[in-house]
This record gives sequence, C-alpha cells and structure tokens, in this order.
Amino acid sequence: MYPVINLGPFVLPTAGLLYILGAWFGLSLIERTAKQLKLNPEKMYGVAATALFGGLVGARLVFVAIYWRAFQDNLLGIVWPLNTGYNLWGGLVIGAAAAFFYGRFHQLNPAATLDTLAPGLILGLIVISLADFLAGPGFGTLTRVPWAITQYSMRRHPVQIYEILAGLLALFIWWRQHDQRLFEGQLFLLTISIYGGGRLLVDAFRDNAWLSSGGYHILQIISLAVMVGGLYLAARLGEKALQQQRQNETG
Amino acid sequence: MARLRFERTILLLALTALGVTWILFSREPVSQPRTISLTEAPIVGHLAPNFTLATPLGETVSLTDYVDRDGDSGQPVILNYWASWCGPCRIETPELQSASLKFKNQVAILGVNQGESAQTVTDFGLSFGLTYPLLVDQDNSVNRTYGVNSLPTTVFIDRKGVVREVFIGILNQAVLEDRLNRLLEEG
Repeated sequence: MYPVINLGPFVLPTAGLLYILGAWFGLSLIERTAKQLKLNPEKMYGVAATALFGGLVGARLVFVAIYWRAFQDNLLGIVWPLNTGYNLWGGLVIGAAAAFFYGRFHQLNPAATLDTLAPGLILGLIVISLADFLAGPGFGTLTRVPWAITQYSMRRHPVQIYEILAGLLALFIWWRQHDQRLFEGQLFLLTISIYGGGRLLVDAFRDNAWLSSGGYHILQIISLAVMVGGLYLAARLGEKALQQQRQNETG
Repeated sequence: MARLRFERTILLLALTALGVTWILFSREPVSQPRTISLTEAPIVGHLAPNFTLATPLGETVSLTDYVDRDGDSGQPVILNYWASWCGPCRIETPELQSASLKFKNQVAILGVNQGESAQTVTDFGLSFGLTYPLLVDQDNSVNRTYGVNSLPTTVFIDRKGVVREVFIGILNQAVLEDRLNRLLEEG
C-alpha cells in the first residue's frame, strides 16, 4: 500500500523505517520491563542490543559467504549498500548465539532474562506485521466480513491486523501477570504461548502463506508447537514452583 | 495434585487436537492454482500486468510471451526500469547483462526504458553491449501501470506471472543471483 515514502528527491522504504523505529521502541520497552521485574536494565538492554546487532551482522555475513564470488573483487560491497542481501537463518542463529554469550559473560539468569525480553520480542513481531500491512507483500484471503479491507480492488481479511491483535493480547497477558509470577520464565512461556495460539488461528486467513508441499500452513504448525510446548513447560514448572512454595510454608 | 495433573493433560491434549483440526481445516488445496484469487497489480503476490512494447527495431514483446499463467511452460522474468540519464541504472546495467548471459534460456531480462526515444535506447544498448531486449516506452504507459516513480526499479516475476519482488535501487551481482536462484528453485 505504501512501500515507499517520498520526501522530495529521496525515496525511503517504509518497511526499513518501521524496523528502525521498532528496534528503538523494542529496546526502550525492554529497559522498562527490566525495571518492572527488578532486573538490571542496562544488562537487559545490552543482551537485546547484542542479539539485534549480532543478528544483523550475522545475516549479512552469511549472505556474503554464500555469494562470496560477487564480493571478492568488491570488498566495499560487503558494507555498502546495506539495504539488500541478508540471510534470515544466519541472522537468527548468530543473533541468538551473540545474546547467549553476552548472558554467559554477564552471568545473567536465562529464564529471568527471557521474561524481560518477551515484550520486546512480541513488539518486534508486531512491527513486522505492521510493516507487512503498510508496505509488504502480505494479504488476506477473500472475504465479505464487514471489517474486510480493499486491497487492489478485492475485499480481503486484514490478516496483518489480526497478527497485531494477537501480539497485543500477548503483551496484555504479560502486563497482567508480571507481578504475580510463580517462577522465572513463566512470563516468557505464557507470552509466546498466547502469541503462538493467535498466529495458529489467524494464519488460516493469509492468502500468501508459507505452505508445505501438502498445502499445510507451515507457520501454523510452528505456532501449534510453540503454544503446546510453552503451555506444557509452564504447567510443569508451575507445579514444581507450587510444591516448593507449599514445602516452604509447611517447613 | 494427581487430579490437577490429569485435568491439565486433558486440556493440553484437547488444545492440541483443536490446533491440529484447525491446521487440517486451513489446508490449501494443492491441486488448485494459488493465483486464482489474484488480480493484475504491480504488487508482490499479484499477477504482473501484461503489456506489449516494441524494441527500437520495432519487434513487439509481451510479458505473456515469457510467463505462462495457466501452465508450467513459462520462465521467470525480470523487468528492469531504467533511463539513460539515471546514474544508478548505469551502475547496475553490466550486472544485468552478465546475469542475462549466465541465466540464458532460463530467465528473461527485459529492460523497460522510461520515456526516451528509440534512438536513445539503441545508443544505450550499444554503449553497454547489451544482448537482452530493451523496450521503448516513450509515453510511459507501462511505467505508469507498474507505478514506477524511482529509477532503477526492478520487478521479479515468476514463471506463472506472479510478482515476487519489487526492488527499488541498485542491484548488485549477489542480490541478482540470489533472487534469480530463488525464482528458478521455486519451479
């Protein structure tokens, strides 16, 4: 709908601008959530920024490695232009590894750290959906529901808005639960379970979904695994925490 | 505690069953072409608008000469919008020429000029030794149809005629090969 924003002679990609804003808001949110959970905001900001920066550098380096022939005579091309050429999986793996080593170095509690990072992660996913809505390739299936949006002369499900609503619900659950958690990691598990459940539901309304060869929505399968796995772990760890609590009360 | 655990297990199993049912219900029929609900639009995921333009020598070229909307006999197409006065277009042109040779008979590269004369298009092609077709769009009708307002703009179209990416800015060899390989792998 708005893939670019024209500012005089400059053409700015809407998605890129939103990602930069999203990263900024996400990092600020993590600082706030760290304060709410009484953790060191600087270290939490540090682990998130390391994941983000490590992910960006990693995604670019893996892309350069795959297409080394194109860069070997043009080393400047590795760092410029930066608007193209990233490898998603490389970014995810290297970003996660960078965050892991940062956490190890600073002796951060992994479960408590994940609780703090969860809202930032969900906000990032909301921004991706928003960018997809404003400038991206995503669009919903054809429908006659009253809240359908017209995209290219056809009435479609606003599937990215549904994704955003799933994210907002997950953030709401985090906010409601943050001061009554039974164990560290509970907020993260609950948040990703709620978001996973939401994506499982709404991805059915995406017309250009990522499909398996049998026609199944791959994102729905991943979302189901995240939801069930998250709830199972939350229940198990919650039970242990309750037992511990009772032992402490009786002992 | 045992009763609570039992109830929790039942709840998780019920949720899993509901999720699996929903996934089965949402499954796309694989025998049906995915482009069935698509309209023509220069937007990712839509059918690329068809057009017919002439080369400077007067030979006409249509998008549907290359893509096959109803079958599997088409080939991916790259529409590269350019102009002779556009510096960034000049930077990426050798990369496009190199790709056109490397992916000969697998991918069609079409250079759509923006608003210049047939003579200018010919001179540009000769100066770079281009072998892929350059198309004259002197009244900018195809440029307008594709909403091109910045140069260079490159539209990647799969063999079925669906727009897969609209790339604004200079293409380098790595990006070009990455996108072409993806288009070819998608079959």
